[in-house]
Amino acid sequence: MMTTLLKLEGIETYIDQFHILHDVGFEVPKGEVTVLLGRNGAGKTTTLRTIMGLNPATQGSVTFNGKDITKLPPYKVAKEGIGYVPEDQGIFGDLTVGENMRVAMQKEDDSTHERMEWVLNLFPDLKTFWNKPGGQLSGGQKQMLAIARAYMNESELLLIDEPSKGLAPIVVEKVMESIQEMKEKTTIVLVEQNFLMASRIGDRFYILDDGQTVHQGQMNELEKDESLKKKYLGIA
Amino acid sequence: MDLFFNLAINGLATGMLIFLLASGLTLIFGLMDVLNFAHGGLFAWGAFSGVWVYDLTGSFTIGVLGAIVTGLLLGVLTEWLIIKPVYGNHVQQILITLGFMLVLSEMLKVVFGPNPIAAEPPAGLEGSFQLGDVILIKYRLFIILIGALVYAITFFILKKTRVGLIVRAGVMDKEMVQSLGINIRFVFMLVFMAGSALAALGGILLAPYSGVIYAEMGMEFAILAFIVVVIGGMGSFTGSLFAAILVGLAQAFMAYYVPSLSLAVNMLLMAAVLIFRPQGLFSLKGGA
Amino acid sequence: MTNLQMNKSTMAYTLCAIALLALPFGYDNRTILFLITQVFIFGIFAMSYDLLLGFTGIVSFGHAMFFGIGAYSVSIILDRNEPTMFYLVIGAIVAMAIAGLVSFIAGILTLRLKSHFYAMLTLALAGLFLVAAEKWRSLTKGNDGFVLQIPELFRDRTNLYLTCLISLIVLFFLVRRFTQSPLGRILMAIRENEQRVESIGFDIMHYKVIASVVSGVVASFAGVLYILSLRFVDTSVFATEVTLDALLMTIIGGVGTLIGPIIGAGIIEFAHHWLSELSDVHWIFERWIILFGIIYILAVIFFPRGIVGSLMHMWGKKRYKKHNQTKNEQKKVAS
Repeated sequence: MMTTLLKLEGIETYIDQFHILHDVGFEVPKGEVTVLLGRNGAGKTTTLRTIMGLNPATQGSVTFNGKDITKLPPYKVAKEGIGYVPEDQGIFGDLTVGENMRVAMQKEDDSTHERMEWVLNLFPDLKTFWNKPGGQLSGGQKQMLAIARAYMNESELLLIDEPSKGLAPIVVEKVMESIQEMKEKTTIVLVEQNFLMASRIGDRFYILDDGQTVHQGQMNELEKDESLKKKYLGIA
Repeated sequence: MDLFFNLAINGLATGMLIFLLASGLTLIFGLMDVLNFAHGGLFAWGAFSGVWVYDLTGSFTIGVLGAIVTGLLLGVLTEWLIIKPVYGNHVQQILITLGFMLVLSEMLKVVFGPNPIAAEPPAGLEGSFQLGDVILIKYRLFIILIGALVYAITFFILKKTRVGLIVRAGVMDKEMVQSLGINIRFVFMLVFMAGSALAALGGILLAPYSGVIYAEMGMEFAILAFIVVVIGGMGSFTGSLFAAILVGLAQAFMAYYVPSLSLAVNMLLMAAVLIFRPQGLFSLKGGA
Repeated sequence: MTNLQMNKSTMAYTLCAIALLALPFGYDNRTILFLITQVFIFGIFAMSYDLLLGFTGIVSFGHAMFFGIGAYSVSIILDRNEPTMFYLVIGAIVAMAIAGLVSFIAGILTLRLKSHFYAMLTLALAGLFLVAAEKWRSLTKGNDGFVLQIPELFRDRTNLYLTCLISLIVLFFLVRRFTQSPLGRILMAIRENEQRVESIGFDIMHYKVIASVVSGVVASFAGVLYILSLRFVDTSVFATEVTLDALLMTIIGGVGTLIGPIIGAGIIEFAHHWLSELSDVHWIFERWIILFGIIYILAVIFFPRGIVGSLMHMWGKKRYKKHNQTKNEQKKVAS
C-alpha cells in the first residue's frame, strides 16, 4: 500500500489582487517523483510557493504527513521536512558553499553528518569548491548546491522548480541523474518544462492549466498520449 | 602636526559615534528592508536615560548599561508597535517611523524636561595626556576604542556565529532563509534590538564628548547616519564603519578649516556616491 | 466620475469659496482671521505635499526646504530693495525658480532609486539649508532673523486674507486640473504600479521629476505668502517641524484627495492654536505635538485614507461595489 506524503485539495491562491490558482489538487506518494507539467504561467511555481507558505492559499488545504500545513509560515513548513529549490536557486552569493550548507543545518548531530556525507558524495563538486562564494559557481553547480542544501534541511520532501532552466544539455543530464539518485532518500515534486527529462525520472504527472489541475496519470501513459501532450504542453 | 592629530582623533571619535548609530540602521535596512527614521530617537533616548542613570548612581559604567537597557527595551517596543503593523509597505514604514521619531523626541522633553542637560566624562577618563608634542584627550581615545571594540565584536558575531550567518544570508535573500526553516521575524527582532542598543550606546557616549545633550541631537545625528548608510552601501556593515570614519573626518577637518561647509561636504560626498555608485561604496548585494 | 457629480463637487467648493470670501466683511476677530489666513497658506503647502505623496507615491522629508526657499528669497529681496509690488513679484519668481532647480536636482539624483533614498536625501538637504540659513549671517541674519517691510497693499489684513484665499482657490483648481490631465493620470498609475507603467514604455523618471518640481514650486509660493503674513523671517521656516506639519495635514486630511490636506491644514492650525492656549492650564499642552504624533501614527496604521479619503470611501462604497460587480462580470465573460 502506497502512503501519501503530500496532499493538496482545492487550492486557491491570490498574489496581490491576481487570482493565480483556481483549483489545484494532487497527491504525492511517498518515495516517488511527481512531476508538475504545464505551460508558462499555468501556476506551477505558485503551487510550490503555496506549499511552502510563501504565497499562502486563501482556500483549500495542504496536508503533509497527515498534518494540515496550509496556514503555517514558511519556516515552519520547512521544519516539518519540506525542502525548497526555487527557480533561481536562491543561492546566497556572498556566502561560501559551506556557509550556504550550514544555513540549512538546524542541528549538528550524527544524522546530519550522515546526510552531509551522502550528499557530498553525490555532488563532489561542492566539496571541491567548499570555500568558494556561492555566487561564483557555474549554473549547474549552483543547482546542485541548492538541491544539496534543501536536502540538508532534514527534508523528507523536496520541491524542485525547473532544475534544467538555463543549463547546457550536458549539465542538465548530470543534474537529472543526481535527482534520480536523490529519489532513494526523499520524495520529490518536480516542476519541469523539459518534457524529455521529466519523462525519464518522473513516476507520476499532473498537468496544470490556468491555475487548475486538469490532468493526471502515470508518466509512461503520458508519453504515448500525443493529443494530451499537444493540447497542454505544446509538444508535437 | 599636533593640530592634524587632534583633528584626526576628533574626526575618528565623531565617526565612531556615527558608526554606532549607522551600523544598526544599515543592518536593519539590509535584513528587513526597513529604513527606521526613528533610529535617531533611540540615540537621543540612550543619551538622556544614560545620563540620568549616571547622575543618579555616579557611575558612568552603570549609566552606559542603563542606556543599553533603554535601547533594548525601546527596540522591542518599536519593532512590535511601529514596524510590525506596516511590514512590507515602504511608504507607510517611512511615514510611521518618522512620526514615531517625533513622538520619541517630544517624549524626551516631557520626561527629562525641555532644557539641554550637561554631562561630563567620568573621573578616570577626564583630561588628557601628552605623547611627544601631541596632546591626546582621553575621552576621545576611549570612544575610538569602544567603537573599534563594537566593530570587532559585531564582526565576529556576523562572521563566526550561526546567528551572524543567518543575518548575512537574510540580507541577501530573506525568503530563501525562511524556506530553510528559519524564523526570520525572530532574527529580525534580535537585530532590531541590537541595533537600537548600539544607537543608545552611541547616545550615552556622545554625552560627555559634546558636554551637553538636547532632544534635537537625535535628528541631527540621524541625518549623518543616513548619509553614512548611503555612502557605505545600504546593508553593508563594514561599509558603514568606513563611511562613518570618512564622514567624521571630513566633518572635523571642515569644521576647522571651512566651518560653514562642514555639513555641505557630507552632502556632496553623498551626492557623488548617488551619482556614480548608487549602491554605495561597499555594497553587499553586488550589482544593484 | 460623471459630469453630474463633478458639477456637484465643484458647486460645493464654489459655495465654500464664496462663504470664505465674504467672511472678513462680516466678521472681524483679527486673531481668527489671521489664523484662517495661515490655514490658507498651509493648505497650499500641504496640497503641494499631497501632489508628491498622494498622487505620485513619493515620500519627501525635506518639504520645509521649499517653504524656506520661498520665505527667504522674498524676504531678502524685499529687505535689500524697496518694499514694492515689483520687488515682491521678482522675489516670488526668484523663489520659485530656486525651488524648481533644487527639486529638479534632488529628483534626478534619487528618484530612480528606492523611495528611501528620496526621503533621506530631502531630509539631509533640508538640514543643509537650515544650517546654511543659520551660518550665512550676512544674508540671513542667522537665528535672530529679521523684520521686513512689505508692499502697502498687503499691510491690510483683509487684503492679505483675500490674496491668500484666492491663491488657494486658483492653485487648487490648477493642481486639480494637473492631476486630472493625462500627465496626472500617468503619475497616479506610477503610484499604483511603477513597473507596469515603465513596461508600457513611459520614462518614469521624467514624470516623477516633473511632479517633484511642480510640488517644490507650489510649496515655495506658500513660503512667499507666509512671509507676507508674518513680515518676519527666521530659520524656523527650514525646520523639520514644517515638513512634519505638511505630513500631518496630508495624512490626517486624506492622502491623494487635494481637498483633504486643506482641511487637514485647518484642523492642525486651529488645534495648534487652541492647544497652545491651553498650555496656561497645564504644561502638557505645550507638548501638543505628541498628541498629534500619536494620532498620526494611528492614522497611518488604521486610517490610512485620512478624513476626506475615508468619507469618500464610505460614500462611494456602494457605487464602488456595483462598479466592481460589473467589472467582475465583464471579466467572467472575457475569460
